[in-house]
Amino acid sequence: MYFTNMNRDEITGVVARSSFRQKMRTATFQRRWFVLKANLLFYQERPADRHLLGVIVLEGCAVRCLEAEEPFAFSLVFGPGLKTYTLSAESRQTQESWVEALMSASHCYLSLLVRDLERLYEEAKQGSRASRSSGSALSLAMNRISSGALGPPVDVSVREWRSFSASTVPQAPPSSTKVVTKKSPKVWSRRNAYVTPLNGPAPLYGEWPLVGSDAMEEFSKLHDYYGQEVGRVREEWLRGKRVEEDTSEEALIDLQ
Amino acid sequence: MRFNEKEMVSLSRQPSEMAAELGMRGPKKGDVVKRRLVKLVVNFLFYFRIDEEEPIGALLLEQCRVEKEDKQTFSIAFLDEAERKYVFECDSEDQCKEWIDAIIKASYEFMRKNLIFYRTEIHRLTGKDPLEQYGISDEARFQVSNGLTLVSLPPFYTNKAI
Repeated sequence: MYFTNMNRDEITGVVARSSFRQKMRTATFQRRWFVLKANLLFYQERPADRHLLGVIVLEGCAVRCLEAEEPFAFSLVFGPGLKTYTLSAESRQTQESWVEALMSASHCYLSLLVRDLERLYEEAKQGSRASRSSGSALSLAMNRISSGALGPPVDVSVREWRSFSASTVPQAPPSSTKVVTKKSPKVWSRRNAYVTPLNGPAPLYGEWPLVGSDAMEEFSKLHDYYGQEVGRVREEWLRGKRVEEDTSEEALIDLQ
Repeated sequence: MRFNEKEMVSLSRQPSEMAAELGMRGPKKGDVVKRRLVKLVVNFLFYFRIDEEEPIGALLLEQCRVEKEDKQTFSIAFLDEAERKYVFECDSEDQCKEWIDAIIKASYEFMRKNLIFYRTEIHRLTGKDPLEQYGISDEARFQVSNGLTLVSLPPFYTNKAI
């Protein structure tokens, strides 16, 4: 018996796979080891195999939960004329985590999500610049995030994009029905260090996490942004120093 | 290796902002430049013979290095043992830059890194995790400390014709 194993960079697990081509053929399930990476679902015979049997590209498919013939079953529906893959898991939990993972796996989904977050980020930055001390402007961004005023736009557009014909039954994806209370956020403070690696070598051009189209423009924005804070702190420090000693001294760091 | 070919063909028909006729040269010695319709859809680069409906092949744009070769030429090299390198000839320097930019940004890995950046920053600025409202805050792929390493794949279709 295999168990679903959520690795750091991939989700692996065994779900049975059916060769469900025509409605005529009886569905026979074959045991396969599935590996989800990016928007690709790889499958092989056994977990330790190096040889891949195949891959399913997860673009343009809807993920559905089914219970009909097989327990804990779910399917990948690509639309009229295209294949539907039916898989079955070994437990409700496995089924749910696979469905969730597969629903958020597509490139389109990720692209919309990133766009949403970019907007939220810009708003959070505006709020933070407007009023630093009172922090009241931040509540604007915070309220919008918590009340879901901004979304889930990703959910809606993805659901629409995925429905190919009128006959598709709208299945509410887990992400909209499950309220997040069951999952508590992890501790964050220590992770900031990973975002901008200060000590590592500069990433290759292709790997730099560009936030906008122009790296130089974004950098100067970042520079100004952090520079303001640094400038302010420096002023306070200088003020403090002048109180102590009335001699003028040259700044240790020239920020101009 | 099997793949869902029909779905791939269907995917190759999706509208795309980046589609153009370019000169394309394959990775093998002796491969010559041929005129192909090159189309970027999600993180795949499809290539067609001119005026054909079905693509000859597709390159998965992950674990690869995109480089400017000269003024109007760029290359995509796959980071595997073979170091397969495909070369593309554009009609202008601007077009070349546009393609390089688009290909880099099309990779899933690039988007994932951006997502992690925004997620971290938004949390830093607002104290809230933006992914919570989507119910995906625990998804392994979107955690900060993860690196997503993909199996490097050869082009899906047989590489006989480029």
